[in-house]
Amino acid sequence: MAENTSGTAAAPSGAGPTATERWSGRALAAGVRVGGLLIAILIVVVVFALLSKPNTFLTVTNAVGVMRSMSTIAVVALGLTLVIVVGEIDLSFGYMYGLASILIGVAWVVWGWPIWLAIPLAFAAAVCLGAINSFLVTVLKIPSFIVTLGTGQLVFGTTLLVSNTATLNPAYPPPGKVVPQDQVDWFFGLSNQHLPLGIPMQAIWMTVVAIIIGFILSRSLFGFRLKAIGGNPVAAELARLPIRKYKFAAFILCSLLASLAAMLDFAFIGSVQPNAGLSLLFPVFAAVIIGGASLAGGRGTAIGTLSGALLLAIIANGLALLSAGSYLSNFVLGGVTIAAVVLDRFTQSLRK
Amino acid sequence: MSGAAPAVAPGSTTVGAVKARGLWIRGLRKWYGDTRALDGLDLDARPGEILGVAGPNGAGKSTLIKILAGETRSDAGEITLDGVSWHADSDRNRVAVVHQEPQLFPNLSVAENMMVGREGTRAVVRKLDDQERSLMRDLAILEYADRPLSAVPLAIQQRVEIGRALARDAAIFLFDEPNSALTQEESTDLFRRMHLLADAGRVVFLVSHRIAELAEHADRVALILDGLCTTVLEGDEVTQEGIAAGLVTGQAAQKAEGGVVVTVGDDAATALRLTDWAHGGGEYRGIHLHVRIGEIVAIVGVEGSGARELVRSIAGFERSTGQIEVGLRPGGSAVAAGTSLVSADRQTSLFTNLTIGDNMVSRLSGEITRGGGALRRGRMLQIAEELRERFQVKATSVQQPIRSLSGGNQQKVAIAAAIVKRPEVLVLEEPTRGVDVGSKREIYRLMRAYASEGHAVIIYCTEIPEVFETADLAYVVSDGRLSDPLVVMTYPDVESLARAVTRLERHGTEPALPAVAAASA
Repeated sequence: MAENTSGTAAAPSGAGPTATERWSGRALAAGVRVGGLLIAILIVVVVFALLSKPNTFLTVTNAVGVMRSMSTIAVVALGLTLVIVVGEIDLSFGYMYGLASILIGVAWVVWGWPIWLAIPLAFAAAVCLGAINSFLVTVLKIPSFIVTLGTGQLVFGTTLLVSNTATLNPAYPPPGKVVPQDQVDWFFGLSNQHLPLGIPMQAIWMTVVAIIIGFILSRSLFGFRLKAIGGNPVAAELARLPIRKYKFAAFILCSLLASLAAMLDFAFIGSVQPNAGLSLLFPVFAAVIIGGASLAGGRGTAIGTLSGALLLAIIANGLALLSAGSYLSNFVLGGVTIAAVVLDRFTQSLRK
Repeated sequence: MSGAAPAVAPGSTTVGAVKARGLWIRGLRKWYGDTRALDGLDLDARPGEILGVAGPNGAGKSTLIKILAGETRSDAGEITLDGVSWHADSDRNRVAVVHQEPQLFPNLSVAENMMVGREGTRAVVRKLDDQERSLMRDLAILEYADRPLSAVPLAIQQRVEIGRALARDAAIFLFDEPNSALTQEESTDLFRRMHLLADAGRVVFLVSHRIAELAEHADRVALILDGLCTTVLEGDEVTQEGIAAGLVTGQAAQKAEGGVVVTVGDDAATALRLTDWAHGGGEYRGIHLHVRIGEIVAIVGVEGSGARELVRSIAGFERSTGQIEVGLRPGGSAVAAGTSLVSADRQTSLFTNLTIGDNMVSRLSGEITRGGGALRRGRMLQIAEELRERFQVKATSVQQPIRSLSGGNQQKVAIAAAIVKRPEVLVLEEPTRGVDVGSKREIYRLMRAYASEGHAVIIYCTEIPEVFETADLAYVVSDGRLSDPLVVMTYPDVESLARAVTRLERHGTEPALPAVAAASA
């Protein structure tokens, strides 16, 4: 076919499709989904603006705060989206987040490594975890739920072992250790820069990651095939798509992005503790699911996941401003996650 | 036969007055979306006989069985049992289905399987009662009572299925290709039990592709074609030749135009060569096959014969030993580069979450990307658009979801996706299963065009008219062995080809019979 097509340029079909044609079909379904999410976000914003005290919710400072608080979840969730799209699941990213920040902290503060070696160590650990996860999933054919449930605990154990369960702060190194000030300044600078409007540095990182994952999912062969593999693994095998390679890549990218988020949070907060990341499991999964990715595989977008993380962050922020108890925010966040999926089912049945 | 049955309006109560005994089916209709599965089928099954049911795939056999078993509802029509209007879904205990795959509980023991659904109401799990024990003794499964079902052979599992049905006093037994995975002795035993069931006055259906078995065991054979029961063979008509001919008559099979004239020994270039090819699981062995460029080769065989596995192995999807050569290159990498497979089931050949166009280009890589792995969306649409035109896929846009297409058009998309990489050997498993007549013609035309462009096409076939219409050579697989090739164009009509194929199928499982008629060979 391929060589034939160039020879038939004179055929009417040879003329390129119009822009509207390009945007029908697949893009429409995703568009409806993201459009619905944006409407939901708008409604939530209006509700909180009416409920909250004047000059608390609808302010630049608060908006900037929301952006920062969503960025960690968004970066991790964007990585998880790849794994979900290819039809697998990763429960180990929260523990990877913890291991990455502890490895940076211990290697840098306790072992006295320079920061530019400590960071690659954390990322190397992420590549290892992703490779182990995908090896067990694709070669030994163990369900990814079980694999990552197990490797998560292995990683957490490693974190506790390496850290000796201590909190680390480069400003207060253990007795006898010195952390060079220029390295501290450079590292903290990764997440703390004076930008116009007080835009947080982490939001910039999040945007860059979102653009890259967005390109991967909707503009690259890699993403196209991730969706195909996730949509029908048997057909993908019969079509000889490189399933194993692509699942390796997805798991590794997921671990890497969890580590990136860990590094940026460490740089922002200035200290690190071994149980960091344990609370990520719910909000990250919720962002991916609210964003429209299907746990059955084959469906998911970067913009959706990003919107999901934004919605969660706004709700958490608004409830905090209203001084709602923590039980109430649990109720709301849990309810919103389930409601998003129910709504999704409903709109899909309408389309049929 | 159906015409001779008294015309009974659906819902009429006069049926009882006719003293109807057995199962009467009148005007049964069933549509799946736009596809007609049953088109007003009439059929009577009498107690005490084995009623054979034969017909090509997609003719409506399995829909009929599903309706009788209560797995799906008919859209119209009436079924009466001994003169009383009857529906399987309200009276499920009267009907038993014995499939190739028993519908039992593999995690429970044989005894527990016998009791499921009738465990009683006590908190303590009861033991087998006397009636069940004697049933199991009759079926020779009592010795397996405490074994997990998954640990006993398939033949025993099927007997458990029969036992379960007998325990709840079922009146109708549907045997749906029951012995395709059984050994010869196990089959013989199963047929013996079938005769016992019939002798005890039960209604017994036997659905089979194996014409020899229908001829031997069925008292009458109903032929199902295009959703209708076209003929019921009785008495002397129930012979292999009679069934084989009946299945293909009235089918407007004609040799496709433009077929290349191939004779065995011709010197065209090799597209595929198998030497001493054997399946890892023993489904076939000692296969030698040579396919030349320009040929369409049909591999024919019933389910369980090894034919399907052999065809899949050519594309590298069954573990096999021996030598394989694609083009003139040997080994696995040649298979990966030079073959494409379209499986019979569209659930496994299409990406249901993608659009028509994306499905068509799903096997491409370099052709649809530029540097950095970025997709060339415009190019993808252009390729898909050209394929849509060439394959005449009935869709307003290639951006539609694949699910919006009919079965025939989905199949065209699946074949287009396999052809787009221009494999030297195109491997198609039942290329027109569940496909309407118009799409069938299109698909045959495309297969011929592809072969004549310098490739080979290998199809796994269960339907003789399909072989007659498309193939240059046909091989029959029987019991894992490949026959000598049949040169399709030397057969004047589809009936004679069907007879030849039937003869070859029979020889695999039975001692050679005296030559019936070697006229067409």
